[in-house]
Amino acid sequence: MSADPLLRHEDAEETAPRQRFLLEDTGFDEVPPKYRRFYRKWKGPGDALGPNEVVCPVCKVVIRSTRELRPGDRVYCMPCMSRLVVVRAEDGRLEARVAY
Amino acid sequence: MERAIRDEAADVHALEPEAFLEEVHSFEFWFHSVQGYLAGQTFGHRPDVHGAPLAPSEREHLVTVLCNYCVGETAALEGASGLVAIAPNRLTKIFLATQVADEGRHLEVLLHRLGELGVAAPEAEIERRASRSLLHFKRRLLELVQSRDWEAAIFAQNVILEAMEFTVFQSHARTADLVTREVLQGIVKDERRHIGFGENELGRRLQASPHIRARIGEVKKELDHWVLESFEETLREIGVPNEERPELGRNYLEVVARLGFA
Repeated sequence: MSADPLLRHEDAEETAPRQRFLLEDTGFDEVPPKYRRFYRKWKGPGDALGPNEVVCPVCKVVIRSTRELRPGDRVYCMPCMSRLVVVRAEDGRLEARVAY
Repeated sequence: MERAIRDEAADVHALEPEAFLEEVHSFEFWFHSVQGYLAGQTFGHRPDVHGAPLAPSEREHLVTVLCNYCVGETAALEGASGLVAIAPNRLTKIFLATQVADEGRHLEVLLHRLGELGVAAPEAEIERRASRSLLHFKRRLLELVQSRDWEAAIFAQNVILEAMEFTVFQSHARTADLVTREVLQGIVKDERRHIGFGENELGRRLQASPHIRARIGEVKKELDHWVLESFEETLREIGVPNEERPELGRNYLEVVARLGFA
């Protein structure tokens, strides 16, 4: 285990089991029905994201996963066809970066 | 067990990158996507939605704005159809074919909306009201397509033009009459695919061939002025306050920053 408290936190996060989420259709209609539960509309800066959600930086749709997201995870934004990688921002929140 | 396997297969984030790209560039994906938000609509809006009558000055502004949207959509229609011929592979050719269908629909619903507003000869009205800067941009975009410059044309069309339309249409939809709002909201849903295609395709190209960066930078330098001028003109016509305009321009600046052109 690392001596750095921040890294220790990352280590602990990596070994802890991930929460699982049952996704339900939120009415997002911009992708084929079988993929709709993985996306929802973003309601703006006040929209609280779940631990399984990130905002697509390209088209501003909320991307959802069936499991808790962690840095390094790959997610896809189908509405804008982007491949993204989850990273931890400076303020501690999870965000998605485009991986061309 | 079979259910679990099927659920796992349907997890979009579990797809291999190649499978994801194959899926989202397909006509099949496009068809089932647009069906979700266009089914039951007539010329881009629910048939039972009717706008309240507009004051003469509001109508005048709206007609000018819609005429310029038609110029932008015609540029994208002609640009995307020309790009099919020079697209470097099957996936990009098929995606651009879906974009051609989208742009043709956009032009049609906007012309129809002009007709609903009492414009008897929309083509002539567009010619009369078209923004000089937008016409210049259109001319340059089509020159890039004709010169078979894939990267520069994709940058001009799917990054610059589409980013501007995405932002302007979203902003306009918030204050527009009910019919225009539904028409614009439907167009914005299509635009998500177009902006994403442009940024991702160009991002991959820039990674694989960094030497093209300087040429794209020159195109950006040349076209920025015309696009921003046209952007300003449209925001003024739809009544966006001065203080909100920089915020709207941020979307375009974020895209070019991600591509390394800050």
